Formats: sequence, structure tokens, C-alpha cells
Amino acid sequence: MGVSGRYFDGQSARSYDVDVRENGSLITFSGIDTPYTSWSIKGLHAIDPPVSGQPFRLTHEDKPGARLIVLDTGFIKTLTSRSSHLKGGYSARDISHIFGWTIGGILAVVALGYFVMNFLPDKVAHVLPNEWRNRVGKQMEQAMVENARVCHTPAGDAALSAMIARLAEGTPDLPAIAVHIYDMPILNAFAVSGGSIILTRELIDKADTPDELAGVLSHEIGHVAHLHPEAQLVRLTGMQVLASVFTGSNGGDMTTNLAFIATVLRFSRAAEAEADAYARETMVKAAIDPIGLKTFFEKLLKIQGSHKDGGSSALSELGGLFSTHPGTQDRMKLIEPLPAGVVAKPSLTNEQWLALKTICKG
Amino acid sequence: MCAMPMSDAMTDSVNALPPTQPAPERLTLDYVPRPGLWKIMFTNLFMGVFTLTIWHFWGKTNVRRHIWSCIHINGEPLEYTGKGGELFRGFMLVFVIFILPVLLITGWLVLSRGPNDPAISHLNLVFFAAGYLLSGFALYKARNYQLSRTNWRGIRGNMAGSAGLYSLTYFGNILAKWFSLGWATPVMNVVMSEQMIGDMRFGDAAFKFKGRAAPLYPTYALCWFLTLFLIFGGGFFLAYELVQWIGPNVEEAFKHVFRTAETVKPSPKDLTVVGYVMLGIMSSLFLYILAIPALWAIYSAKELRTLANYTRFDGAQFKLNATWANVIWLAIGNFMIVLIAILIGMGFISALLFGLANSGLEKSTVAVILAAFSVLIVYQGVWALSRPLITQRNIAFIIKRLKLDGAIDLARIRQSVAAQPKRGEGLADAFDLGAW
Repeated sequence: MGVSGRYFDGQSARSYDVDVRENGSLITFSGIDTPYTSWSIKGLHAIDPPVSGQPFRLTHEDKPGARLIVLDTGFIKTLTSRSSHLKGGYSARDISHIFGWTIGGILAVVALGYFVMNFLPDKVAHVLPNEWRNRVGKQMEQAMVENARVCHTPAGDAALSAMIARLAEGTPDLPAIAVHIYDMPILNAFAVSGGSIILTRELIDKADTPDELAGVLSHEIGHVAHLHPEAQLVRLTGMQVLASVFTGSNGGDMTTNLAFIATVLRFSRAAEAEADAYARETMVKAAIDPIGLKTFFEKLLKIQGSHKDGGSSALSELGGLFSTHPGTQDRMKLIEPLPAGVVAKPSLTNEQWLALKTICKG
Repeated sequence: MCAMPMSDAMTDSVNALPPTQPAPERLTLDYVPRPGLWKIMFTNLFMGVFTLTIWHFWGKTNVRRHIWSCIHINGEPLEYTGKGGELFRGFMLVFVIFILPVLLITGWLVLSRGPNDPAISHLNLVFFAAGYLLSGFALYKARNYQLSRTNWRGIRGNMAGSAGLYSLTYFGNILAKWFSLGWATPVMNVVMSEQMIGDMRFGDAAFKFKGRAAPLYPTYALCWFLTLFLIFGGGFFLAYELVQWIGPNVEEAFKHVFRTAETVKPSPKDLTVVGYVMLGIMSSLFLYILAIPALWAIYSAKELRTLANYTRFDGAQFKLNATWANVIWLAIGNFMIVLIAILIGMGFISALLFGLANSGLEKSTVAVILAAFSVLIVYQGVWALSRPLITQRNIAFIIKRLKLDGAIDLARIRQSVAAQPKRGEGLADAFDLGAW
């Protein structure tokens, strides 16, 4: 028994009324202006999954433009019960495809992420021309210090040079560095691309002994020696490229973001550990007591603690989440006194230390 | 009905009759919602996060397939035949030939000259202009792709003109609107519609667009001058009021009221001053967020009606019954949907923040996971939950109000012979031109 249906031949927009039958492995239809046509059920595709009470729309792989629409619920039920590929939804093959592509895609993204974030930065940092490193470093320094005054007095400058020379005593291949002290009321020290190291007045004020300052300075020299600022810049550029792939943006705001992130984000834990190791080694080689670095860490902890008590706890918790200098306690544990037999030599004389302490008052 | 032995003989005899010619049909459009969109939206949200947004192309395709199938013309739904893979390949092509070079050049400049070098902003300006120049191209190509993947009665559409030509018109349109302080809008919109709609084909039948911009100008002028009056008149009135009634000591009053100045108690006058200023700020906000767009809804409605009126298909003419109140309701509804989606997104982030803050994970790891997931969830949450609903509302708005006057000889319309694009919408996706 046939059921009524509508047929569009894919050649014109004309609608044809047809009589549709199921005939073994075939579906056949014909009408006043439609010649007898047979489609194999195997080659049928459902445009949409069957919905009770709604017309069922079919096409055939040999006539992709043509449409056959059946309205009879009983006919649809019989047809779909015998031909599960017409029920719609996702087949096992579809699902395995989706999962395969998704997992493959995620693996590719993770691999790409690792390449851009971990592998590439270090490699690229080592081949950057010095001219580029210096130029970028100057801009980063400018962005960080803004309009702050550079502190210097002849005696203070000489003391600083003496401290660098002391650190170089056991490490002849100490990288070329330029240390600038800025009159800034924040406690900070950072290394930028090209070998510049920036110290703040607050840091000089908080250091009680020259060995403490030598510890901080040798840590920053560690960053310079390992080209961490350069690698960080390459990493941030790579991050921007990756981010733009996923957000579909064209990277127009890339530079402003970079400048912002570069000033906000510090180096990674691994880089900090590397710089600590460099500092410990340099200090031991120069016979400067590494405990100076430890006492300075203790001070940092105390300052962080006092800030925590004063501020809102929820906010400081959140701030802590983004800190890349965590685990000060762990880092302190790694600092050991000079090995037995090595006699500590002061990193600066009292006069030199006084000159350095008052460099911003000049 | 009794079972016939076989109908072949009957069909054969029927086939012997001369073919009948159906009469031209009047077309009625309707939007018939059906369940399933929410399921698609939540699947898209989940898959979007799970696949780090790459699902976007397939999600968009599923939404389109659903919405298209709700548009009925004479009871027969539209059919969307596009595939997510086509959109993905379109985007990848644009990424490789346009976005990646831009990123690499910018990256190279950042590393070689520093992030603050003026060369970078100059280059960005060039890319920005190129982006604008390509926007029209992208829109035209996206329309072509969508039409080629839209079937009704087995017949698909296409665009018959040049995307390059349209991109020039589009770029000219941006400049003309900019330099004329908006006054070129009616003319340029008519010119662009003439090109875009005039190039549209359903099968081998063309849409036609003809009309003048002049009838749009009285409404445009009304909206333009009222906007000017609202901005400047409102501002002057506010400034005059402030000076007349409260004098120049606003800063002082604020200090008193908000106790920044030690022990001075705020006087009733201080409170009045602060009240006036607050009122001023609130009314400005009201002006910008509600009054000005509401005012321009008058023009939007007029333009929609006029452009529909200028459009013909075969022997039939389009009519659109949209008032400015309808347009405002549509905009308010869409705004509320985005707002709710943002709130949901923020809810996710708060839950994640508190969950992670108490998880005891190593802090830097938490920071990275948190930052990445926050961005993903907000992005996905807002778009996956709001865009499909907004698209559905916009399309239903037009379809329910659109009428076709006159009959069309559908039997005469033959299948399109235009080559179908293999990929879709890469540029439109890259520029986020909202080609849904």
C-alpha cells in the first residue's frame, strides 16, 4: 500500500505529489508528473532525524539535490525501524570521529603549547642579536620605571662597581651587566633584556648588609646569564600568537598586551630556581656569605606577612594565586653557608656600603 | 484501499498523459520554532571548553541547521547543508595567508624593536585599514557561502556578482559615513543593498532591488538632530543647572559627603550638590544606553521597511511590517540575553575561583589553570548561550513580519549552476563579522 508524499527533483522548485511505497530493499515513488522512480534504502539519507508528527525528509546519495517528503507516521516508523541509519543522531562512527579529532586536536594544542612556551623561548633567546636585546631592554626598563629618577653619586657608583667586581672574582665569565638604581618607593629588583638590572631605592633601604644586596644582585645576574628576560619576551609573543589562534583575533592589540603582561608577569618558578642556583654558586665562588640572600628572603616573608594582616584576606589570597615568586620558604632551605674552609670576605667595605646606602640621597 | 498487484502499469499509463503546468504560487513565510536549540547550545558550551573553542565551527553549523529548519516557506522548511569542516578549513586558510603573517611580522617587530616601537603601531594601522578593506569582501563571501548551503525545495542559492567590487563599495561606505558625520548612511545603505540583494539568486531566479534613498532622509534627519539635541542640549542644560544652582564648589561638596576631608560634616547644600551631580551622571548614562538607541530604532524600522519594499523576487514584492517599538523590543531582549549570559559566565568563574583557591594546589599551577579556564568559560558561556538565541530572535523577527505580494512561477525556477564554494567564511570569522 502506498502513502502520499511530496517530491522535489532538485532540478526545479516545483513540488510533485507522489505515491510512495516500500518494496524490499527499495523505496519507490511515482505521480502524475513524476515517472516511476526507485531509490535503494541503503543509499537514503535523512535530512533531519524523524520527529513524531513532523514530515520526514529524505534524499538519496545518487540524487543529492532531490528531496522526498513523507508524512505518514506508520510508514516512517516501519522504514526507520528497519533502517537504523535513518534514525539520525550520531552513529558510532561519527562519535569515534568527533572524539578522535578532539583528542588529536587537544594533543596537537598541548604539543604546540609546549613548543612555544618551553622549547622555543630558550632557543630563540640565544640567537637574538645583541642590538635587538639592548633596544627591547631599554623600552622595558622605561616602561617599568616610568619617570623615576636614576640615583647616583660618584661614591655610590664606585661602590656598586666594586660589588660587581667582587661577584666576578670567582666567576670570570660573569655576563656584561649595567645596574641602575631608581628612586622608587617599591621593593623590587628586576633584570631586563640586554643585561640591564634595575634596583629600587626601597630595596637598598631594606638591605641591612652588603651581603644581602650582593645576594639579590647575583640572583638578578643569574637571570641575565640565563637570558630569562629575552626568553620571557619570546614566550609572551608566542602566547599572543597562540591566544589569537583560539580567539580568532588578528593580533592587532598584541603589542599593548605584551607591554602590559611583560611588566606584570615575572619569570617562572623554574627560572627563579635557576637564578637562585646561579646566585648561590657565584657567592660561594666569590667567598661572599650566601646567608645574606637568606636573611633578605626572611625580610621579604615578613613584609608579605605584614601586608597580609593589613589587607583584605580574600583579596590577598587572590593576589597570591598569581604570584610567580611563591615558595620563598622552599627557596630559603636551599641556601647553605659557605663550605667549611672557605673564609667569608665582605662584599663591600663599610665606607663603600654607606656610599651605596645613600646613593639616592645625593 | 485494497492492495494493488503493482502500480507500474498505472504509473506508465499516467506517464502517458501530457505534463500538467502548476499555477504560480503565492508564498507565505513563517518561523515555526521547534525544540532542540537549548540542547545544541549546551553541547556547544561543553564542547567549546573541551576542545579549546575549536568546536566553534561545528557548533555554529548545528545552530544554523536548527534555525534554518524553523523557517518555513509555504510549509516547506529551509535546509542548511553546510558542514563544520568547511568553516574550519575556511578559517585555517585565512589564518595561514593573513593572520599568521600579521602575527609573525608583529612578533618579529616586538622582538627586534621592542613592544613600544612606533613602527608597530604604524603597521597595526596598515593591518587595520586592510581589515576594513577586506570586511566587505568577507561579508559578501560569507553571504555566498550561506546561500550556496541553503536549500528550499531542493534548490540552492548563490551570489552572482563580484566580492571585490562589493568590498570597494563597503570601504567607500565606511569613509562616506565617517566624513559626512553619518549623513551618507541612507544613500550608502541603499547602494550596498542594491549590490548585495541585487546579486542574490535562488536557483536561476534573481532578486531585484531598486529604489531611492530620498524617502529615508526625513526620518534620518529627525533622528540625527534629536540625537544632537539630546547630547548637546542635555549637556548644556546640565551644566547650566549645575552652575546656577550649586555653584562651582562641586569638588568640595563631594569631599564633605564622602568624608575624604577630615572632620567636616556635609551640609544640606553639599548633599544637594552631590545629588545633582549623581543625577547628571545617571541621566547621561540613561541617555547613552537607552534614549539614543531607542531614538535610532525609529530610523532602523523605517530603513528595514523601505529596503524590503525595494526588493522583488520574480513577480512578487516584499513588504516588512516592523515598527520602531518592535525594533526596540528586539534590541532590549537581545541586550538582556547577553547580560544574563555574562552573569552566568561570571558565576562559573566565581565558582572556579573559590573551588581552586581552596583546592590546595600549587599556586602558580592554579593561576595558569584559572586564567585559561576563566577566559574560555566566559568566552564560551557568553557566546554559546547568547548568540544562538539572538540569531533566532533576529531571524524570527524578520521572517514573521515579511510578506510577499504577488505570485511566483516556482516550476520555472531551475537549479543554480553556479560553482559551490568549497570552504566558508574564513575572513568573516577572522574579523568576527557576526556572520551567523
